This record gives sequence, structure tokens and C-alpha cells, in this order.
Amino acid sequence: MRLSTRSIRPISAGFIAFPWVCGSVYAQSTDSSVFRSDRLNALVLILLFSIVVLVYTRWARQGKPLFIRKIPGLDAVEEAVGRATEMGRPVLYIPGIQELDEIQTIAGVSILGRVARITAQYETPLVVPVRYPLVLAAGQEAVQQAYTEMGKRDAYQPDMVRYVAGEQFAFTATVNGIMTRDHPAANLFMGYFAAEALLLAETGNAAGSIQIAGTAQPEQLPFFIASCDYTLMGEELFAASAYLSHEPLMLGGLKGQDFMKIILVTVILLGVILATLGWWPDFISWFKEV
Amino acid sequence: MRRTVPVVIAFLSGFVMLVSFFFNPDRSILGRIESEVLSWVSIVAGFSMLLGVVSIVGVNWRVVRDRREGWGYKAITLVAVFVMAIPAMLPVSWSPLFGDGSGSIYDWLFQNLSATMMGTMFAMLAFYIASAAYRAFRARNAEATILLLTAILVMLWRIPMGEAFLRLFSDKLPDIINTYVMNGVNLAVQRGIIIGAALGAASMSLRIMLGIERTYMGRG
Amino acid sequence: MNFWDRIATVERRWVYLMVALAVIFPLIVPAHFPVQISPEARQLYDAVEALPDSCNVMLTFDYYPSTLAETEPMSIAALHHLFRKNCKIVTMTTIPLGGPSIAERVTRKMAAEYGKIYGVDYVNLGYKYNYVAVLKGMGTSIESIYPTDNSGTPLSELPLMQHVKNYKDIKFIFVVSDNVIVDYWISIVNAEYGIPVGCGATAVMAPKFYSYVGSGQMTGLLGGMKGAAEYEQLVNHPGLAVKGMGIQSLVHLLIIGLVIVGNLGYFLGSGRRKAKQL
Repeated sequence: MRLSTRSIRPISAGFIAFPWVCGSVYAQSTDSSVFRSDRLNALVLILLFSIVVLVYTRWARQGKPLFIRKIPGLDAVEEAVGRATEMGRPVLYIPGIQELDEIQTIAGVSILGRVARITAQYETPLVVPVRYPLVLAAGQEAVQQAYTEMGKRDAYQPDMVRYVAGEQFAFTATVNGIMTRDHPAANLFMGYFAAEALLLAETGNAAGSIQIAGTAQPEQLPFFIASCDYTLMGEELFAASAYLSHEPLMLGGLKGQDFMKIILVTVILLGVILATLGWWPDFISWFKEV
Repeated sequence: MRRTVPVVIAFLSGFVMLVSFFFNPDRSILGRIESEVLSWVSIVAGFSMLLGVVSIVGVNWRVVRDRREGWGYKAITLVAVFVMAIPAMLPVSWSPLFGDGSGSIYDWLFQNLSATMMGTMFAMLAFYIASAAYRAFRARNAEATILLLTAILVMLWRIPMGEAFLRLFSDKLPDIINTYVMNGVNLAVQRGIIIGAALGAASMSLRIMLGIERTYMGRG
Repeated sequence: MNFWDRIATVERRWVYLMVALAVIFPLIVPAHFPVQISPEARQLYDAVEALPDSCNVMLTFDYYPSTLAETEPMSIAALHHLFRKNCKIVTMTTIPLGGPSIAERVTRKMAAEYGKIYGVDYVNLGYKYNYVAVLKGMGTSIESIYPTDNSGTPLSELPLMQHVKNYKDIKFIFVVSDNVIVDYWISIVNAEYGIPVGCGATAVMAPKFYSYVGSGQMTGLLGGMKGAAEYEQLVNHPGLAVKGMGIQSLVHLLIIGLVIVGNLGYFLGSGRRKAKQL
């Protein structure tokens, strides 16, 4: 079930009116602020963002062509899996080292589903070590579904996605061991990474694997850039699932996000000009606190 | 049902947490929902540890049982799992060696084995960064040259003798690096990436809430 | 393969050996270098120095045992500063693996040095699961999150905690961390409650936090072992970080040398010619 844009309108109206009513009923004091007015700026931004994404999603559904620039790292995923198939070596995929409540991990598991379709198609062995049990469950579900949809249910094995260790460096040591023993032809690091980013990427480089990494952690990007063949930076990680699926609805969401960025850049430039000239200080103070 | 219910749960969960952000927890029950839900997450995560234990034991036991390559290391892994877990779960009243407090088996193993191994792994970064820098910092084009020169300047700036060396050129050079490189270019780029990543995360969250993105739950 | 090609393609193991020697040599032949104080470290020091004596401060031990070399000297220097000012310190950690024991060990050692009494001058709250709930919950009531301290003593039995009920009773939060928990301290605690937050972070994390210092959300920043050395120098207690500067200096110079040598090999060897042909 997908919530259509038409059904969002009454829900949107509801989500503004209903909580306000409930909040008022449970208010302890008549003159206390139930609603956090200091967060009004965040509410406006969220509403604007939601509207923009929904508008572009609707346009995508209507068949309007949407241009998305090339992301070389994502174009290389299929090439990397193909290389692994030719060499008869597995593909190693790591959906980050954080729990499932981290949005980057969800992005990583989403991309895993897409990658699993490709490995199912080419019948390439897939190894997915994970650090948390919930990620294990989600990963197994995503891979199993991918293999089923590609008609390769028999090729799926639950051990493809395995829980290796809960501690960061124990996980890293195990994965490094997998890389040096099994020599995967392709390593895909997609998600949240911390200090182990360089340990994993450099070991993979030494093992001769083609490596594609993606993370929204700015402090780990330099290490991936130095050691990997392709790196997805920040929002490219979140765009990956939509990009690989080629589904118009998902691409519509991407375009909406880009439009929002244009709005933010405009606001920043406007703020810089106003602050420099000393005009309209209220405009800047509106963004000071959330 | 099997497809609809998870999507509805995802929507309602996201929606409730979003709404809760805008209400005062001292004045409205809606403001308190967020912390309540976070407590539920803790409980679910606790139960999910069982999944992890089953997986790690299953994967390693099969290798040991079939005597496949590296089975000795897998056996050590299994022994380590139980040697650390079982004494930690037993009540302290039975023996001071049980539990996870100071002086227990778990604490001794953690301080003397696990913590030192964690430090060792982290220390390996020094070797890996040296080999990565040596291999990757080549002036192949203009961007790579800028990267290379900036890296050298910052590495010099972060060490006392490097700072002294930079001051030979100008007393203000370390301050210029701090102001224009760290507080200028670095700060701007970090903010740009953080804003972009935050927008990407928000977009992904919205797609999940609306049921457009469902791959994470195994539905394409 | 000519000389320059060999220079450009030195095997990893020789690079590792050079790094190992660069680390060991300063341990055998120690050298001390005066550390210049960065504006961010000075800002943090001045902020703590400006606190009223005997005020309540929260010091966090949000780091894993793996980063002790960078972060423990920061904690020790912070404790020197805070105990010298007779501040009342509440310590806590959001790290389950090793965090509570590190906090216990470091604070007790420093407290013994300054003759501070547990429960009166400092308290170690320990660790509780779900750091978002912990950080938010302490805004309302610390006791609701931590009914007991790390040793199991009820907070109602600790004299210090009778005066520290929530964030409103805390004047400054000194976060020492090696992970993204700092983002939550800023976005939850500083943004909502306005408590000034100063931070000591590992060298890898520090560049990210310059944006918080720039926007005024963070009061001062210590970056890596150099930052720890700066703070040790400011509080007049040079320790492990100042000693470690010799090792860090030599390794940095080695890496710079390797980069220069690698580029010489690239330009003067056949690597650049091959790249142009491609």
C-alpha cells in the first residue's frame, strides 16, 4: 500500500488539527504553551519540504520526465557485481555499523535489497556481515525478498547475512578476516561508519577488491575517498535506493529534495546579504533556535 | 494485510514522533510520547539480542561441526561468547566473580583482553593512514594537488615543530590556517555536507512514512 | 622498473615498519616541544576559568577504551581545572563498553590527588541505555534517569545530588567524546536548555565540530592529542598528551615525507606518463 498524494491532503489537515485539539484537552494550565512556538520555524520548514516532495512525486506519477544527474559510484555497482561474477568471488556488503534506528542503516539495507537483486541475477555469492541483530533480521528479509522476486529463491541462504560481533572493532577484525581469507572481488560499504572506515577500506584495497563506499558521516568521507574507487557523499547515499530502482515515484522524492536545497541556498544567500547590510535582523533571528 | 500493516505502522510511528516534537512534554501528553516510544525501542532492542546470539552460534557451530577451513578460530569464538556471557548473567550473590561489576570475570576479560584489543585495532589506523596517504595523495590533477597541499599544511599545523616551521615563513601562518582552512573552507564544507545529508535523511524518512520506500522491510 | 618507479610503489609492509619506528623512537629518545595554544582551546579554558568557584559542572566520559590515548588526557586536564576551582562535578557516560569503569578510575584517582570526597564533591552516575532518552530526561530530573549512582547508592543519599536535580542546576557541561554523541549534547541540551557545552573530541571528529564553535553552540573545542596537550599546558599539568606530541610530530613528518617521495616517484617515474596515455 502506498499513500497516494490525494489521501495525504485530509491526513495533512488532520495532523495539524487533531494534535492541537488533543494537546489543548490535556493542557495543565490555560496560559501555558502546549505548542512549542519556538519550533514554529522547524514546522514551517517540514511542511514546505513535505509539500515540495509530494508535488514532485505527483509529477513523477503523471509521467513528467525528471532529470537526475549521473552518480558514477552507483553506476559502478552493477559493474562491480559483474566483475565478482567473472572472477568467481563473492560480493561483500556492509550496511553500516549502527542500529536500525539510524537512517543511514535503513538506507544501507534498502540499497542491499537492490544489490541483492543484481547478485541474484548473476548468481554471485553475497556476504553481508552485520553488527546488530535487528539489522540482521532486516537484512535477511531484504535479501530473501530480492532473491524471491528474481526467481532465485533456492539460491538464497540465511547465512548470507550474518551477525558477527556487537563491538565495533571486533566487527572490524572479523570483516577484515573475511576480506583477507575470502578475497571478495567487490566491497560495498553503505551506511554509517566510524573509526573502522579506514581499517575496512584499506584492508579491502590491499585485498585487491573494487570498492564503493557511501556514508553521510563527513568525518569518514576523506578515508573512503582515499581508499575506495567510488564514494557516495552525504545525500547521495540516501538517493542511491531511488537511483538504483529507477522508479518515478522515488525519483520524484529526490527532485523534491533538490528543490528544497535550492530554497535553502536562496535563504542562506539572502541571510548573508541582509546580515552584511545590517537589514531586517528579525529574519536571521527566526533561524537561530529550534 | 502482510504488506499494508507494516506500512501503516511505519507511517503512524513516524507521524507520532514528528508531532510529539512540537508539543511541550510538561503540558501535553503528546510531548511525552517521544520519550515513551524511545523506551519501547530499548525493550525491543534487548529482545533482539537473542537473534544475534542465535546467528553467531549457528554460523560458527556449522563450521566447527563440519571441520571446514578455519574451524579452530570459530571454536575459539564460540568459547569466548559463552565464557564472557555466562558469568556476567549469574547473580553476584553466588560469587563476586559473577556479574559485570569490578572484580568479576567479565570485567577482568573486558579490561585485559577486550579493551586492549580495541586500543590495538584503533592504533592500526596510524599505519593504515600512512599507507593510504602515500598511495592516494598524488598530484594527478588540480583537485588532487589542492587536497595534497592542504593535507600537508594541516599535518604541519597540528604538530609543535610543524607550527614552528610555519612561523619561519610568517608568524601569522598558523593562525591563517586556523582561520581560513579550518574555520573557513572546512567549516563551510562540513555544513554543506551536513545540510545535504540532513535533507537526504528527511526525504528518505518521508518516503518511508508514505510507503514509497519499502525495500528496507523486504518489499521492493 | 627504475629507481623512481620503485620509490612510487613501496610495499605497504615497509611503510608500516617506518611508522612503527617513528612511534618507538620518541619513546626511547623523548623530546619536549612547546605547544602553541589554539583559539578554540583558549576559548574552552577561559569559559571554565570564568565559572564561579564551587559551581556544579557535568563532565562526560563519552569515549571507548580504544581512544584513551587522545581522550583520557583531556578528562584528566579537565578534572585538574575543575577540582582546582572546587567545582562540584557530576560525571556520566553514554558508552556502555568501558565508559563507567573509565569514569570511575579517572575521577577517583584525580579526586584522591585533590582530597575530594565522593558524594560531596563529585558523583559518578554511570551509564544508562538510550542516550537520547537520557539526555532529554536529565532536563526534567536526573534522578528519574539515574535513581542510583554507578555503585548502586541512591541519589537521595548523596549530598551533592540534593543540589543538582536537573540541567538548571548545572553551569557548564564538559563533553569528552570520540563519537557523534556531541551532536546530541548540542541539539538537545544546549539548544533546549541553553547550558554552555565545551567539548574535547578525537582528531577525526574535531573538524566537524568547528561549525558548532563558529555558530556559538559550542564553547571551545579540544581536537585530538594536540588539543589535549594544549589544555594540559593551560592548566599547568603537562601529562601524557604533551609527551605524546613527540610521537605525533615524528609520524606526521614521516607521512609528509612519504607523500612527497611518492609524488616525486610519480612525476619522475613512468606512472604519470602511463596516466597521460590512458
